[in-house]
Amino acid sequence: MSFWIDPINFVIAWLKGLLESWGLQPGLVTFVMYLIGAFVTTLLAMLLVVFLIWLERKLIGRVQDRLGPNRLGPWGIFQTFADMLKIFTKEHITPDGADGVAYNLAPVISVGAVLMVWAVIPFTATVVGVDFNAGVLYLMAVGALGEMGVILAGWGSNNKYAMLAAFRAVAQLISYEVPMVLALMIPVMFTGSMSLQALVKEQDIWFIFLAPVAALIFFISSIAEVGRTPFDLVESESELVSGFNIEYSGLKFGMFYVADFLHAFTISLLFAALYLGGWRGPGAEQYPMLGFVYFALKTAVVYFIGILMRASLPRFRIDQMMDLNWKYLTPLALVLVAATAVAGKIVPAEMAGLRLVVMLALNGIIFAAADRLMTRRRSARRQVAQAPRPVAHYVQPAPTDPGD
Amino acid sequence: MSDLQTQTLVPQLDTIFPDWVRPDDRAGYQGYIVETEHLLAVAKALRDTYGYDLLSSVTGVDYLPEGKLEVVYHVFRTTGGPIFVYKVQVPRDNPVVPSLVPLYPGAELQEREAYDLLGIRFEGHPDLRRILTWEGFAGHPLRKDWHEPYFEEEAKPYKSRWPEGQVRRAEDLNPFADNVDYPAGFDPESLVPDADDTLYKTLFRVQQAQHPEIKTDAIVVNLGPQHPSTHGVFRMVALLEGEKILDLKPVMGYLHRNHEKIAERNTFLQNMPFTDRLDYIASMSNNFAYALAVEKLMGVQPPERAEYIRVIMAELTRIVSHFIAVGFLLNDLGAFFTPSLYGIKERELIVDIFEMVSGSRMMCNYFRFGGLARDMSPEAVQKTKELVNDRLPRKIDEFDRYLTENEIVRQRCEGVGVLTPEDAIALSATGPVLRASGVPYDVRRAEPYSIYDRFEFDVAYGLHGDIYDRYLVRMEEMRQSVRILKQALRDLPEGPIMTGKPAYQVRVPAGESYGRVEGPKGELGFYLVSNGKPNPWRYHVRAPTFINLTSLAPMSRGGKVADVVAILGSIDIVLGEVDR
Repeated sequence: MSFWIDPINFVIAWLKGLLESWGLQPGLVTFVMYLIGAFVTTLLAMLLVVFLIWLERKLIGRVQDRLGPNRLGPWGIFQTFADMLKIFTKEHITPDGADGVAYNLAPVISVGAVLMVWAVIPFTATVVGVDFNAGVLYLMAVGALGEMGVILAGWGSNNKYAMLAAFRAVAQLISYEVPMVLALMIPVMFTGSMSLQALVKEQDIWFIFLAPVAALIFFISSIAEVGRTPFDLVESESELVSGFNIEYSGLKFGMFYVADFLHAFTISLLFAALYLGGWRGPGAEQYPMLGFVYFALKTAVVYFIGILMRASLPRFRIDQMMDLNWKYLTPLALVLVAATAVAGKIVPAEMAGLRLVVMLALNGIIFAAADRLMTRRRSARRQVAQAPRPVAHYVQPAPTDPGD
Repeated sequence: MSDLQTQTLVPQLDTIFPDWVRPDDRAGYQGYIVETEHLLAVAKALRDTYGYDLLSSVTGVDYLPEGKLEVVYHVFRTTGGPIFVYKVQVPRDNPVVPSLVPLYPGAELQEREAYDLLGIRFEGHPDLRRILTWEGFAGHPLRKDWHEPYFEEEAKPYKSRWPEGQVRRAEDLNPFADNVDYPAGFDPESLVPDADDTLYKTLFRVQQAQHPEIKTDAIVVNLGPQHPSTHGVFRMVALLEGEKILDLKPVMGYLHRNHEKIAERNTFLQNMPFTDRLDYIASMSNNFAYALAVEKLMGVQPPERAEYIRVIMAELTRIVSHFIAVGFLLNDLGAFFTPSLYGIKERELIVDIFEMVSGSRMMCNYFRFGGLARDMSPEAVQKTKELVNDRLPRKIDEFDRYLTENEIVRQRCEGVGVLTPEDAIALSATGPVLRASGVPYDVRRAEPYSIYDRFEFDVAYGLHGDIYDRYLVRMEEMRQSVRILKQALRDLPEGPIMTGKPAYQVRVPAGESYGRVEGPKGELGFYLVSNGKPNPWRYHVRAPTFINLTSLAPMSRGGKVADVVAILGSIDIVLGEVDR
């Protein structure tokens, strides 16, 4: 194995050899290797956030016809470091009447839950933290842990806004897991495995072409899961000031901030892995690092769409968001799962071309029907108050009324 | 006499109610003086029989020499026509007037203001508390015998503080003792700040009876005074059941500076820049209304060119204000600043024109009594023409394309915050709020001022009375403003811009006048009383957004927290004007 073909595994193998040459037990070596791997992944993820924050500010700036950060370093790329320095030096405030344990645990859980997702993401053909065969299940379990952080923060802060945000978080995040799981079922059905590496390897045709509607549902519900526009009710600035993290300052707030950006990016990673073929691309099998580049590019596209949505869309109201989830996305996902299962059995996987056509047609029909139903409900929202009145115009003061 | 005829005539109250009403025959005054005990009956007859259905303004005047307080009511018909004024007079030592809230719910905040600033007690008012000053405030500041700490003189220009050339400030010599006016027996050390208990008690609490086994409790949430979407230091006290609003009270006055008292100390001309600070988004339109009121008193008419430039400036202001209103409404809906920044971009270009003509971007101070401060240069005209003929229509269409059909915008706005036309009239709403409710009332058409009768434009109105219609009305009004601007720029004549010579001290004869314009946010009126001296005896601003806020609570009840924010955005308040 040469360094140039697969540098990461080269380094891993070298390290492993080094540790073993020191006479450590094989079990201990594996443990230390995992520890190092977790540390490096976490560090990289955190450093990535520094870049993501800058990127998002810059892109939103461009959408809004501004320059965005442009003072520190070329194109302002060091802006985030300055922000970080500022946030490190801020005072840690615990509000009166806060539940100490919940209040302090919440930011840790938030960041931790996101980082845990990174354990199962296949970055290249050879690099994956843990490739275990219940990866999708693990994703859902860890995703629910992130919500725990939000709820703890809302409860522990002793603040009405935070409390309202926690109510919303419970409602929103838990609801949107349902269509998300259903949408995840479809790739799992195609593959017959819950391992993410297997899911990626199976995508000779990207799943977004085989199951476009499922991909859409996954994208929407993952944005809701992250709590980004238009589903940012949990931290809705215009109503709840900043929602669940209103009482946090300094580094604790910074952790929520990091968790938010990292979560958004992680969800893009997942989307790219599950529906856009992950690291797959020409030559990615032979040169794993090339797979890493493909994966990064695909993720960037998804993340970019997320930023565009954040820059341009207003926010749903709580009941409309629940409405969308329970009345459209969940039934749609259920129908889709059933239809895909049947169609998948009828058209075997070997006839790839036919399968693609059948699946596309099926998705098209289901989507058109759903769209039709949605449009029909829209018309009942408002009523005309009255017939139009004549426009008020100037009336010449008439000879005054002498009275009856 | 047929009903229709009755509704177009100007009633002669003194012949209809000979025992209750007498005409106001003081020199320079109009309208009628109604006996206090018959006020309700007369007001009801005016509303029901004669069709004066919208109570525009309620205010008080302190006639200290006569020992009287006068409450002045301005009403108009929403079918159009001139404004009608009637008054009641009460003794200064026991000023009690029946409240008009049962007839016109829109009087609620205005009567509270009159109570707060002049100490007139309105009997039958549901919630008569102070509104602009705080609960512990001593005295009623608009009374002529009320003096603030560090009081110097009754009227400007003040005499020199150190005529001998020796700098000796009163406040340096004696920082606390004589200049601070505490009520008798008051000990500042023992002051316990008002905990807003009186305010919270006024919230309407609903008892939960459906599920006696589950104990629920409504929570009181204060949205503001520091809150990102109150557009300033405005506060809403909301009683919530989960996300649902049970009741809501607007609380204002955090930016109160007693504009009217300061303006009564100022000379007439000194007030012109002071009006800029009311609705600071639309300073030109404030200037316009004030200039109209004073010109009515003085009996001067600005020359043609000045009239045209005034209209151009007022319409540009309307476009600025609506761009900001629409942009920030979207902000309140949760869009991440993009629409508001797009609006602000257009505003910058218009504000450039203001800078070219007046020298200032926001605080224009451009109008003068009988004309304008300076002429509009040919470059400014050229720039306005380019903007109006090309860029603005394009940008308005762009806004339209991005926002109007957006599904989330429609979901959030349609059928939310509905105000029926009857309610809108009863609550004295004006401007886009009234028009969106299906009452096409526009002062520019209903009682044309300046030269608005020469222009062709349509009055934009909605039929649903929801947030979406208010948004659409604003979009359409921008288009109509562009239409007016095109005509005004085409016909702009050459000539002088000022009647007579510019003067620092204008001579204003005694009398009263009410000048009103269709401001971007509603009917902006100035009620002035002059006693022939260089300073106005009474200067009252009918602030449109202050009065439109009366309808905030009725619109919000039953909605969600998120709706309140959007409804507030759709009223489009400016705190400089609300708190005055």
